Amino acid sequence: MRYRFQSFEKVYEVDLSRQEDLLRAVVDGREHKLEMVDRQPGQLSLRFDGLPMTFYWAVKSGTIWITRGGCSYRLERPSPPAAGSRREPGEGETVRAPMPAQVRAVQVAAGEAVEKGQTLVLLEAMKMEIRIKSPASGHILRMLVANGQVVEKDQVLVEIGG
Amino acid sequence: MFTKILIANRGEIAVRIIRACREMGIASVAVYSEADRRALHVRLADEAVLIGPAAAGQSYLSIDRILTAARQTGALAIHPGYGFLSENAAFARAVQQAGLVFIGPPPEAIEAMGDKGRGRDRMQASGVPVVPGYQGPDDDQTLVKKAEEIGYPLLVKATAGGGGRGMRVVHAASDLVESIAAARREALHAFGNQRMILERYIPHARHIEFQILADNYGRVLHLCERECSVQRRHQKIIEEAPSPFLDSDLRERMGKAAVAAAQAVGYQNAGTIEFIVDADSREFYFLEMNTRLQVEHPVTELVTGLDIVQWQLRIASGEALLLAQDAIHGRGHAIECRLYAEDPANNFLPAAGPLLQFVEPKGPGVRVDSGFTSGDEITVHYDPLIAKLIVWAEDRPAAIQKMEAALRETILLGVTQNIQFLQDVLADPYFRSGDIYTTWVEDHFGDWQPPKCALPPEVLAAAALIQFQDPAADSQGAPAGSDPYNPWRVSSGFRMGEK
Repeated sequence: MRYRFQSFEKVYEVDLSRQEDLLRAVVDGREHKLEMVDRQPGQLSLRFDGLPMTFYWAVKSGTIWITRGGCSYRLERPSPPAAGSRREPGEGETVRAPMPAQVRAVQVAAGEAVEKGQTLVLLEAMKMEIRIKSPASGHILRMLVANGQVVEKDQVLVEIGG
Repeated sequence: MFTKILIANRGEIAVRIIRACREMGIASVAVYSEADRRALHVRLADEAVLIGPAAAGQSYLSIDRILTAARQTGALAIHPGYGFLSENAAFARAVQQAGLVFIGPPPEAIEAMGDKGRGRDRMQASGVPVVPGYQGPDDDQTLVKKAEEIGYPLLVKATAGGGGRGMRVVHAASDLVESIAAARREALHAFGNQRMILERYIPHARHIEFQILADNYGRVLHLCERECSVQRRHQKIIEEAPSPFLDSDLRERMGKAAVAAAQAVGYQNAGTIEFIVDADSREFYFLEMNTRLQVEHPVTELVTGLDIVQWQLRIASGEALLLAQDAIHGRGHAIECRLYAEDPANNFLPAAGPLLQFVEPKGPGVRVDSGFTSGDEITVHYDPLIAKLIVWAEDRPAAIQKMEAALRETILLGVTQNIQFLQDVLADPYFRSGDIYTTWVEDHFGDWQPPKCALPPEVLAAAALIQFQDPAADSQGAPAGSDPYNPWRVSSGFRMGEK
């Protein structure tokens, strides 16, 4: 079975196969032998080409967080949505939350004209205030958040059209 | 000693205080907001009272609700922890007026030290050195004139300030008026007070502070120093004891000044005198006093062998400090690293999210003060501190090695955190030689990025295996058996290799 992961914009492929109790993983053209040693919730111990190793892991919304030997890795499904603002074909520009936060103030309304650099929304997280500014001049197509609302990282806050 | 106390705080410090209570046979009452219903401090306390919604203003900062909770539960004293109401004189007074004991200093001492301008006056009057500067009538014209006398660069600072807000470094006279205006705006917004003082700016300043214990009978002791120069945005990241900068002569002089500073305001209970030390001239100056328990108190506990939180409770209940100053010595070296939910590669922006997996490091000389366990949520409502890792070893190099090993062993998945950043700071040759100052992190790590190393094949293979065994994977490793859909129960996976 083939698995694809993305990390820092690079896509990796792993082919996993099983014969009886023997597992093989082909990574970057090289074959590795895997033997299960132990598994606990969120924990996986195996022999990788004969070497014992333990991984700690968790999965959330398709992202695998995995740690081994003091290094943590975050593997995504290939091509997740980008953070910040970006243009979608035929659509306005979307402005996203740079971090999980609470909306402190919505400073513009749908239909309003805005200048590039104008503050659209005030976010606050852990005593820090962040001004979300308009990436372009234009009109507010949609205001998708309200005062007091808690938003996730990368959640779309505002859509701006030309 | 009290039979029951209320802890007006949350997170790791509430847990720390609950632990002290348990050791001393004191019943503990936790308070919590709606966002903290299943928080660790709520789970550990003997009783817990819901005091309001997530917003701190209506819960952890609500004096009325906290006093009501104390009345309901019959608590005899209130420990404020740090942050929230800990340095609020009105709260300390309200606690006393309700007939309860405030585990901290008298409200007058909080007030005397709470105002930066007045604090400076009091210190100067008691012979404690302060940074050359000016406090007094603060109209722009006077400030401009006084700035000429002090010289540049200088610091414009709000008297009510804290955490770097309402503060500006001014390098030239031409920028002064504009910087004063900006600092006033910020201070007015943040503290409702726009009074300013001026101070000489010290470019290579070390932040070195002294822990104080004072009983109710006039006895004041210091528990030696902590070095807290590794900071970002004026917030400490790594603290240690002893300071690699002080020699015994400077330590003794600063210790005496710290005791004099505390005595000058009639201080009681635990507190911290913060000093700025000019790394070039080795002159030291009083910066401010924190009239409460400090986040970094554990490094002092590890080197002195004294339990500061227990002493807070003992002093508040009327016990006298019978220790001799001469008998208090630091032994070995302790370092604390603050594990924050934040992104060091992106201006240390706070992060939030579920703590999918949190495995604390273990071993001799390793202490973890944490307010969270696996499955808890780091919310946007409060401080991004997840846990404090504190180590003790015979000397500084050994303590650094122990911290590096402890950080490698720490598993913290699901939320962006600063472990890799801490590792890189610890490995830095300047840090290792102890050659650090308060803007050192900004100067040396301003454009820090996590190493974008290629994924090793074993990690990719393990990830594939995890996906294979758990195709609909969206779990946080809930204990097998509790969830019928838990992938670990499904027989489509591999059998464990038992041979």
